[in-house]
Amino acid sequence: MSFVPGLFHWLCLSTILFSIGLYGVMTRRNAVGVLMSVELLLNSAAMNFLIFNHFAAKPFIDGAVMALFIIAVAAAEAVVAMALFVAIFRSRKTVDVTQIDTLKG
Amino acid sequence: MNPAELTHTIVFYGLALVSIVAALLVVTVKRIFRAAVALATVLVCGAGFYILLDYDFIAGIQLLVYVGGIVILIVFAVMLTSSLEDTEIRPSKSRKALGIISSLGFLATALIAFQSTSFPLSAPTPEQPSDVALEIGRKLLGYGSDGYVLPFEIISLLLLSAVIGAIVVARNPLKKSSDLSGQSEQSDGSAT
Repeated sequence: MSFVPGLFHWLCLSTILFSIGLYGVMTRRNAVGVLMSVELLLNSAAMNFLIFNHFAAKPFIDGAVMALFIIAVAAAEAVVAMALFVAIFRSRKTVDVTQIDTLKG
Repeated sequence: MNPAELTHTIVFYGLALVSIVAALLVVTVKRIFRAAVALATVLVCGAGFYILLDYDFIAGIQLLVYVGGIVILIVFAVMLTSSLEDTEIRPSKSRKALGIISSLGFLATALIAFQSTSFPLSAPTPEQPSDVALEIGRKLLGYGSDGYVLPFEIISLLLLSAVIGAIVVARNPLKKSSDLSGQSEQSDGSAT
């Protein structure tokens, strides 16, 4: 197996970054930490679009357009999440996701 | 292996090492502000990867929007919701085990799937469009069968509604309580 980065190496990289983000989503207690882990997930998804565009659809650039859309959605998500955290912190004095359980039945 | 390929390989593995270590710091470090700095490192490395893949324009957008915008927003969120010296309580053992099992399970499943799939690769050196940014602009505003003008407009509406929604949610309700018009506007906002 050659060490020159091919499709498999790139996919390994983005999958490793995705699983690290998944671990963060499941273990972080601070809501801002969860948001950062979600950003890791979105970043690796955008990278996957570009990898497949580079290796499997070279003359076209549809994957790059999709990566742009992912970046825009990530920006919108970060804005809304930050507003929610500020509002929650104002009323509950914490952003620990294990403490925010008012909706729990 | 020619020199260009060698440089490409070395840069790839160097960036991969840095970004994986920084990503691990993002999810494990106790001080949430340091995690934000590590996230910025991961995103800068991501821009480096995009340059390696010949998408310079996307790399620029990544630096502008992610590193310049989203990381700054997250730093603001850190500063507004907790003191910078605050440390996070470690996750419980069972939660940690669950996270490790699910993420390693996902990683193993995905890697086995990649290993056993033969992807229809394009020819080794096909010609790239001469100006990627120009081509992306054509795609974004094209209304033919291969254009993205509808998603483009929907994204712009999404960003507008996110900004307005964020202002409504994060506004301090106590400040406007004496002002009647402000209060009715506030209740309108929370109803939507």
